[in-house]
Amino acid sequence: MSATQPTTSGLSERKQARRENWRLIVRRPAFIVGVAIVLFWVICALFPDFIAPHHPLDYRTGKHLPPGWGHLFGTDSTGRDVLSRVVAGARDVLRIAPAAAILGVFFGVILGLLQGYLGGWVDLLASRIVEAFLSLPVVLVGLLAITTLGRSNVVVIGVVAVLFTPIVARTVRAAVLAERELDYVTSAKLRGESKAFIMFREILPNVSGPIIVELTVRMGYAVFTVATLSFLGAGPPPPSPDWGVQVSDTYNNLIADFWWPTFFPAMAIASLVIAVSLIADSVQSVLEAS
Amino acid sequence: MKRFILKRVASMVVTLWLLSTIVFMVVNVLPGNVARKVLGGQALEEDVIRLNARLGTDKPLLEQYWTSIRRIFTLSFGDSYKSQVPVSDIIFPALGRSAKLALLAFIITIPLSIAAGIYAARRQDKPIDRAIVTVGLSTSAIPEFVTATVLLVVFAVKLNLGKVYANPPDGVGLFGQLEYLLLPALAMSIAYFGYIARMTRAGVIGALHADFTRTAVMKGLSQGQVMRRHVLRNAMAPTIVVISTSVGYLIGGIVGVEKVFNYAGLGQTMLDAVNKSDIPVLQGAVLLVGIIYMVSTLLADLFIAYLNPRVRLEKSR
Repeated sequence: MSATQPTTSGLSERKQARRENWRLIVRRPAFIVGVAIVLFWVICALFPDFIAPHHPLDYRTGKHLPPGWGHLFGTDSTGRDVLSRVVAGARDVLRIAPAAAILGVFFGVILGLLQGYLGGWVDLLASRIVEAFLSLPVVLVGLLAITTLGRSNVVVIGVVAVLFTPIVARTVRAAVLAERELDYVTSAKLRGESKAFIMFREILPNVSGPIIVELTVRMGYAVFTVATLSFLGAGPPPPSPDWGVQVSDTYNNLIADFWWPTFFPAMAIASLVIAVSLIADSVQSVLEAS
Repeated sequence: MKRFILKRVASMVVTLWLLSTIVFMVVNVLPGNVARKVLGGQALEEDVIRLNARLGTDKPLLEQYWTSIRRIFTLSFGDSYKSQVPVSDIIFPALGRSAKLALLAFIITIPLSIAAGIYAARRQDKPIDRAIVTVGLSTSAIPEFVTATVLLVVFAVKLNLGKVYANPPDGVGLFGQLEYLLLPALAMSIAYFGYIARMTRAGVIGALHADFTRTAVMKGLSQGQVMRRHVLRNAMAPTIVVISTSVGYLIGGIVGVEKVFNYAGLGQTMLDAVNKSDIPVLQGAVLLVGIIYMVSTLLADLFIAYLNPRVRLEKSR
């Protein structure tokens, strides 16, 4: 999107371009498939009692029943219905991952705007810190933080958000650097606008494309990271039907051929991350082409 | 070139210092009596004091910080809280085992994914290209532990191919070890494949549309010559960058894979350290991973500068 002057005709032009982009995105089959899968899991998370045949913690059914008509996904080692647990398990990841991604993008946008617009030593210092952060695998810092801060959803959200901040900041900084030399910024400076006004009211709307792309991409990584962390023991404690926790609880029984309590939650994770990445890829290819 | 190397190494030293500072802050964000935590509530006060003295955790915070900075540059990470052997005696052998696994994953992935990327790029927007891109996108989005679990169920449990536990027994030769490591390495390869294939594809497409390629075609070179001499040579730089920067992701993903296959590598060592609150081991392992990542990025930068004189001249200015 080119920088448009903040006149009325410019504004409507921008709005039109945005509408056109949106039309292009919704028309992509990958986007439709992705949204359908995500919606399915959101409904599962909101109304598990409607969809699941049993309660996720109901112990009364038989133990280790293989998948069949009574229990489509079988039952686990304590006799709980795996299908019901998979349905109920959507809730944790769908609460934690978006919260982490949104927070990370929020702070990343602020940091990136400051870095790109103010430049100088702020930029230099922040760039080095960003580089140091990027050299750490997110999962490892997550483990470190959970060991010292304790195991809780808030810690997981905080860690993922903090680790996403520099990545988002790097993208936003690059976009801001391209914008800051344009005429509309110069004219805002000449009008005597404050730095904060120029950053947030003038530049921010013009870099919204890369920010939206970054948000959808981060959403995918957040699901990825949150699922991995809960598999590694940073998620909610065991009776929880969270998918990562279920896989971690049951994978030791795989050797005895009890594959279904592990396999189905694993496939649930796979379906959700693929769906989110299909959405992100559709948004990215349309917005980056325009 | 010399100036370029010097500048890159200097900036790496600064980043290493920041890295150890970040890790130190994360570890010390909660004040607490370390030895009391390790020994438990019922331990005698004099034992607690003695352990704190041994571990150096009774010193002022600033002195502990200085020690932790020194450690990252000397690669000696102190003693484990639990077993009280040097951390390096624990993490380096584990790193060796992880490296074996990662290396096998690399050997499987890199030729395949680069070939797939080139193949897709030459058939841009045809169905086969779309298929490679979509499959690559999906497989690289799935967490490694999920892929590992599915492979384990399908191959090791259902088809009886490969092993459920990846630790080879003592005395198994190199080829015998392959049988144990193949499934976990494959799990990592699958996640990694799409990533490199897509980067290679993007690089090749960029080079195919470049002016120099058009010139090469116009002056009558054969298709093979154009690909080899002009397109691939220029397209490889972004691919090399991705391969080197994904070393960090590879190590992040290895933790889940090692847990699924009960493999005694660096990832499993870190998980043990988490369960036992053995902070020095965890800290050492995280720093080690950071160092590996930075060195591999540095090597990639140098390699690219070596390939492309424009880069080294521009950066040393």
